[in-house]
Amino acid sequence: MKVIRTHDLSKTYNHLVVPVKALVNVNLEISEGEFTAIVGPSGSGKTTLLNMLGGLDQPTSGKIFIDDTEITGMKESRLIDFRLRNIGFVFQSYNLIPVLTAIENVSFIMLLQNYPKDKMEKRARELLEQVGLADKADVRPQKLSGGQQQRVAVARALASNPRFVLADEPTANLDTQSAFNLLDIMLRLNREENITLLFSTHDQRVIDRARRVITLVDGSIVEDQHFEK
Amino acid sequence: MKILVTLAWRNLWRSKRRTMITIASVFFAVALAINAQSFQQGSYELMIDNMVRFSTGYLQIQDVLYEEEPSMDNSLLVSDSLLISVRPFLKRIAYTVPRIQSFALASTEAATRGAMVTGIDPETENRFNSLPEQVVEGRYLAASDHAVLVAEGLAGLLKTRVGDTLVLIGQGYQGSMAAGKYPVKGIVRLRIPELNNNAVYMPLSAAQDFYGAENRLTSLIVMPADPGDADRLTEDLSAAVDSNWYVVRSWKYLLQDLLSLMEFDTASNMVIIYILYIVIAFGIFGTILSMMIERNAEFAMLISLGMKRRRLAMVCLLESLFISFTGAIAGAVLALPVVAWYHHHPIPLKGDLAEMILQYGFEPVLPFSADPKIFLTQALIVFVMAVIIGFYPVYKIFRMKTVERSNR
Ligand SMILES: Nc1ncnc2c1ncn2[C@@H]1O[C@H](COP(=O)(O)OP(=O)(O)O)[C@@H](O)[C@H]1O
Ligand SMILES: [Mg+2]
Repeated sequence: MKVIRTHDLSKTYNHLVVPVKALVNVNLEISEGEFTAIVGPSGSGKTTLLNMLGGLDQPTSGKIFIDDTEITGMKESRLIDFRLRNIGFVFQSYNLIPVLTAIENVSFIMLLQNYPKDKMEKRARELLEQVGLADKADVRPQKLSGGQQQRVAVARALASNPRFVLADEPTANLDTQSAFNLLDIMLRLNREENITLLFSTHDQRVIDRARRVITLVDGSIVEDQHFEK
Repeated sequence: MKILVTLAWRNLWRSKRRTMITIASVFFAVALAINAQSFQQGSYELMIDNMVRFSTGYLQIQDVLYEEEPSMDNSLLVSDSLLISVRPFLKRIAYTVPRIQSFALASTEAATRGAMVTGIDPETENRFNSLPEQVVEGRYLAASDHAVLVAEGLAGLLKTRVGDTLVLIGQGYQGSMAAGKYPVKGIVRLRIPELNNNAVYMPLSAAQDFYGAENRLTSLIVMPADPGDADRLTEDLSAAVDSNWYVVRSWKYLLQDLLSLMEFDTASNMVIIYILYIVIAFGIFGTILSMMIERNAEFAMLISLGMKRRRLAMVCLLESLFISFTGAIAGAVLALPVVAWYHHHPIPLKGDLAEMILQYGFEPVLPFSADPKIFLTQALIVFVMAVIIGFYPVYKIFRMKTVERSNR
């Protein structure tokens, strides 16, 4: 089953003096349960691709299907709802709501989803446990390390029970140890919970652990490798 | 939704100092505006009060033609029908002040001058404007006297003193000749310069004799038992009296020139308050702007996650509502004791300014008005202003993109 399909996806930024072709005819399929890294040099279009897939920006041309639902051209208010129900996000930075504690940050998504209140707290705790932060539940983001913040973000991304999780360079601001730690958690979630994960990175150590590596250069896919691990 | 309130509340305390500064600026705007308004309105109220108390009274009954042509011929007759029509309202009337007045020539051996000769009931006039206290020489009038009080300025012009005789010549009722000799019983110092230079008072019956106008008055001042009842009493009396002959004028009508002057003055003073509003508005806008810049990435993240813009805007609106509300209430509450103090302890004026105001017949003090309307309107204006500014983030949130170039 294909969770994500793109058809001749292109994005050109036109508002600059010289138009920038950030994505050129990208055709991509992501199946359920995949653990995929999008790699490529800086400026190759990784962020642009993830933004398109997450419905955060509209492509110039081409189509995107999530589970056979076309999200290209969808109205923003529907798209926001769609994101809430189907896509988990882990951003590079500014991930968490600073005035909420770790557990509140995780619960926040469930609140937006009108998740039953009585089960919310239990689930939020379980998720924090899965990312190894059960003891930090009542701590606010600024008291957490960068790695811990990213792990809370992963827990939050999972809270909505999304079809897949998008993470744009989630380890970019982390030290090696934290980066591996985060990656281990993501890998484990992928194996044990069959979570579909798609993330961008240019960190070779991270790339080495991915099961599928898609390489972007100048907005085009130049390589798509599968590894058995 | 509870989470929105929680978010708004915690955001307020996230940057405590900024919240405090913004609340403080709303606070100062409200407090300042209230004080400025109370101060201005207070001096007007005093001025009106002075005019009403010493000059026009709250309402007057006049002959219908008197206003157009204020002559003895258009004086009113204190008829039975008038007394009967007023009788039902006696409970609401504290007392009445009858007056008959017209111009006459006043002569002494030394000089002749035009004078405003007013017949008064010495007792009620005392109640009305404490005229006896203004006597600086000689004695005050008694009802049966055949004598006059001369204003100090006029006495100087006529070179007359207590005990001298004044000859008055004028026109009486229906073209009759009014003439008489009157001993000067006292000299009064009147505050209003114009009056001080031309006023002559004599007891009502003597004046009616002089003008050949028995039972006639040029105006009957009516003092309501409750000044707040003045407008209604004016209406009720108007309906009751014979409108072919009588007309009831309220102080608002009698002082309309002064009132419209004040209105004009108020409008020009409002400009200063508007400037205050604008300064404060920019202050609030500044803090909101810095808040928006600081939280831009956070907002983008929230919308990306799936938070509706509407809800996010609600959080911002709650924040600015809280700030505006707290500031406005605090401003109004803290302005209260200041205004109350200066209402009861008017700022006394000294020096030339005080002299000048005294010359115009007013007390040289600046009281504050304690009109609750001022508190309400000023607090409301600033509050509404702050709320309108609070809509800027709302507007921004609805326009902002989820993806910014900065996320590379
Ligand atoms: N909002 C934008 N406006 C204009 N150009 C952009 C914008 N975002 C990205 N680009 C351009 O598109 C290209 C791809 O950028 P991006 O997707 O951020 O690459 P990566 O994430 O791989 O570093 C770059 O040339 C970049 O300059
Ligand atoms: Mg990028």
